[in-house]
Amino acid sequence: MVISVGFDEKKHVEPRMSLDVDSLQPTWRLWGEERVEGAIYTVYLKKVRYHSPSKSISSDSDDEISHLEWETVRVRLIKAGTLEKLVESLATDDGELESTYVNVFLACYRTFSSPKQVLTLVLDRYEQLANNELDLPEVVTEQHRKTLVLALHVWLDTYPEDFRDPPLHPTLHQLLFFTQHHLPGSELEAKVKHKLEKFTREDQLLESCSLFPNDTSLYLNGSHTPSENSCLNGSHLPPFSFPDVPERHFAEQLTRKDQEVFKKLVAHQCLGGIWSRRDKCREASTVLATVAQFNAVSLRVISTILFHPQSKTSERAAIIATWINIAQELRILKNFSSLKAIISGLQSNPVYRLHKTWQALPKDKFELFEELARIFSEENNQWAQRELLMREGTAKFANTAGSRDKHIQKTLQRQLDQSSRISLGTIPYLGTFLTDLTMIDTAIPDTIGEDNLINFDKRRKEFEVLAQIKLLQGAANAYNIPEDASFDRWFDSILVLDDREAYELSCQIETSIPNTNPISALPYARFRRRNISGHRKNDSIASTSSSSSSLFYCDIDTGCSLPSSPHDSLDRKSSLPNIQASPSQMSRSSSSSSIPSLDVSVSSSNTNHSTNQTCSPANSSARWQSTDFYVIRVTQESDNPETEGVVLYKSIMVSNNERTPQVIRNAMLKLGIEGNPDNYTLAQVLPDKEMVLPLNANVYYAVNTAYNLNFILRSKDKVKENGNGALPQKSKSKKHLLLQT
Amino acid sequence: MSRTPNENLVTYKLVVVGDGGVGKSAITIQFFQKLFVTDYDPTIEDSYIQHAEVDGTLCILDVLDTAGQEEFSAMREQYMRKGDGFLLVYSVTDVQSFKNIDSFYTQILRVKDRDIYPMLLVANKVDLVHLRQVSEESGRELAHKLGIPYIESSAKDPPLNIDAVFEELVRIIRNQPDADAGKSSRGRRSKNCLIM
Repeated sequence: MVISVGFDEKKHVEPRMSLDVDSLQPTWRLWGEERVEGAIYTVYLKKVRYHSPSKSISSDSDDEISHLEWETVRVRLIKAGTLEKLVESLATDDGELESTYVNVFLACYRTFSSPKQVLTLVLDRYEQLANNELDLPEVVTEQHRKTLVLALHVWLDTYPEDFRDPPLHPTLHQLLFFTQHHLPGSELEAKVKHKLEKFTREDQLLESCSLFPNDTSLYLNGSHTPSENSCLNGSHLPPFSFPDVPERHFAEQLTRKDQEVFKKLVAHQCLGGIWSRRDKCREASTVLATVAQFNAVSLRVISTILFHPQSKTSERAAIIATWINIAQELRILKNFSSLKAIISGLQSNPVYRLHKTWQALPKDKFELFEELARIFSEENNQWAQRELLMREGTAKFANTAGSRDKHIQKTLQRQLDQSSRISLGTIPYLGTFLTDLTMIDTAIPDTIGEDNLINFDKRRKEFEVLAQIKLLQGAANAYNIPEDASFDRWFDSILVLDDREAYELSCQIETSIPNTNPISALPYARFRRRNISGHRKNDSIASTSSSSSSLFYCDIDTGCSLPSSPHDSLDRKSSLPNIQASPSQMSRSSSSSSIPSLDVSVSSSNTNHSTNQTCSPANSSARWQSTDFYVIRVTQESDNPETEGVVLYKSIMVSNNERTPQVIRNAMLKLGIEGNPDNYTLAQVLPDKEMVLPLNANVYYAVNTAYNLNFILRSKDKVKENGNGALPQKSKSKKHLLLQT
Repeated sequence: MSRTPNENLVTYKLVVVGDGGVGKSAITIQFFQKLFVTDYDPTIEDSYIQHAEVDGTLCILDVLDTAGQEEFSAMREQYMRKGDGFLLVYSVTDVQSFKNIDSFYTQILRVKDRDIYPMLLVANKVDLVHLRQVSEESGRELAHKLGIPYIESSAKDPPLNIDAVFEELVRIIRNQPDADAGKSSRGRRSKNCLIM
């Protein structure tokens, strides 16, 4: 009852921290709980400046004056209560509106009551006060009536839709009747009349245009309907054609569309109790409109990429690159909704599985994609995204990039260098808020105790999230983007595909299952490897032939003929005794007998590992964690004379669904071995032993990622006959030196 | 399959899927809430991570429940890709949620590009006996058809099978034919690494 902050519109939105009473400031101290009939209060003791202007009558300050300039006041916050008690609490003894309470109440009351019910209670309370039916001093009664009227003002200003109930608007009429009776000629009466006129005017307008009620039509527009007619129409060509579209312009126009729905969003429709109800169309139409716009963007990403199955891989890759560029512009614009929608579209299965297409993408484009996707990593409860929103939500510009996000860093820098900067708003991805609110709603009970008092503390908690949304809605006003009708025409002209259609088209584009064809799968791995590059790169540096590290980012297809390879082999030969040589080379050097070779490689891999200490275990595991593929190095264990003195290992990709026989086949293909895969075994080289992979093992899950992923491919014949068995034939085309990392 | 010295506990990423309103969040909250003495805050980093002992082996469960985001259909596959195992939840009071299980199942297999994947069919809200519309037989029949185990649950106090739901899924992951204990060496670790 001390937090009195006039009812200035601006104050309705408060940064969330200020609402968290416990952490508010050191001057607040929890004193205890107080129970009265129909309500429970939490009582705080608060240190305030003596003679503070907001001195509260309800405080027991008189006998608690400190000797200097501080006094302690007692602050009662309602924790739970009956609806009557909650409504009563809107009024205060000092006649000043307790804006936090009023705001929480008005934002959240729909979860436990209705506008009509609350209005009736407010008006009843006022009449009781006016008729002096309550045993209260006159001055208090006066103040209570005053604050109730103030609360009604705030209500009408902030949530006019609560009073809209066409065609008769009975609630508004009830209020009008009240004001005419109790407050004739007052500001409140004028306001009510004005609202009524406005509503009636709008009703007539709607009727004459025979429009749908705006909310439902908004939802429909956002989804599939309009796209079809404009496409069938075909008379006017779509103004833009992928991939040659103005990227910044697209990002801006997407932001304009998002801003429209986001500003219309009614925050309290996000509340778990409302949003999770099955009949959403009516009660949560503005949330649905946001969701529909999000999905519409994702679906357009998917269909622009898949729609022409006959087009060339490079053309399709260009479309993906364009979407990534648009996504980057959205990051600059701080539009996290469409940004996530594009990332989601690109990560949707029908697009994500197109390995050849991704392979055709320039490396830096893929890295940029990964950086942007990391924003929405669900690791640590969406930490990255939450942090970013916290930092940039109300900032003027995008200015945050992770240390690993070199592409985003560059872009932000470029933006900062531009002289003609304009302030930007922020559009959040609403889904995270919806989940948080759903979880709060689930975790905290609606009522307390046997009397089923309404748990108002739950509403305070919910309001913290709503206040954030409202804050961002305010910030979104900073965007000033002119509408481009031709963009809207383009947007509506794009046909969208349903799940099944998209998948079928995707399979038409790339039939092969990713892991049955290593040739197609492998180049994709070069991107994946970026995730683990720190780890791998360090390995290479630790080995004597450091030139191999530079091959790391090279395309696998060209890697075979790199001029540095022969040089490497010489290096390797000369460095054979070196303990830091790579495990594979050690095993090669003593390949006539497999067991000692392992011992050697053990020590070498240990050494490598220990030199990698700069890369902490936690960090390296983070990288593993984010990969769906591992790149493993496979050495062939044989004493084939044709490769005498040449270290031979190949990197192959292992995706998370490949079993041992498949990996063996891939390795054989890569190493250029012909023969029956069944005659081979695969083992990971570990420091203390060798782990032979069972035939039915899923290699992705079975590998020990704590160590270098070095493997040995061994012929079973050889194992059986102790190295004297028939050797597999090497294919002629591959017998020259192959050295890659 | 040695457990290496610097190896921490295995982390299982469990994903809860199902229609809106089937009580997914209630299952998740009931499972985690036990640990929370203080006020619930859904935004803190480790809200949905906890240790669990399953069949005598300690592990970390990292649960992803996107309750409230069901309508964002386009981002579903994105988070499915990350799961080690899935709870397919429907409400026994809601036939449509039961019918939709099939599409979640198909989508997961497609995303994982596999014929089988660790999943558990969860018939939730069985406490609402009078409102029940999907019988146990229908549930078991569907589970049989999909080739995944079936379990009934309720997050209402006293909760039924809430811990069991998560523990069972961990067992399914551990016992999948090709994993062999392989998970134990995946080097996954939680929390301490964040990706920006």
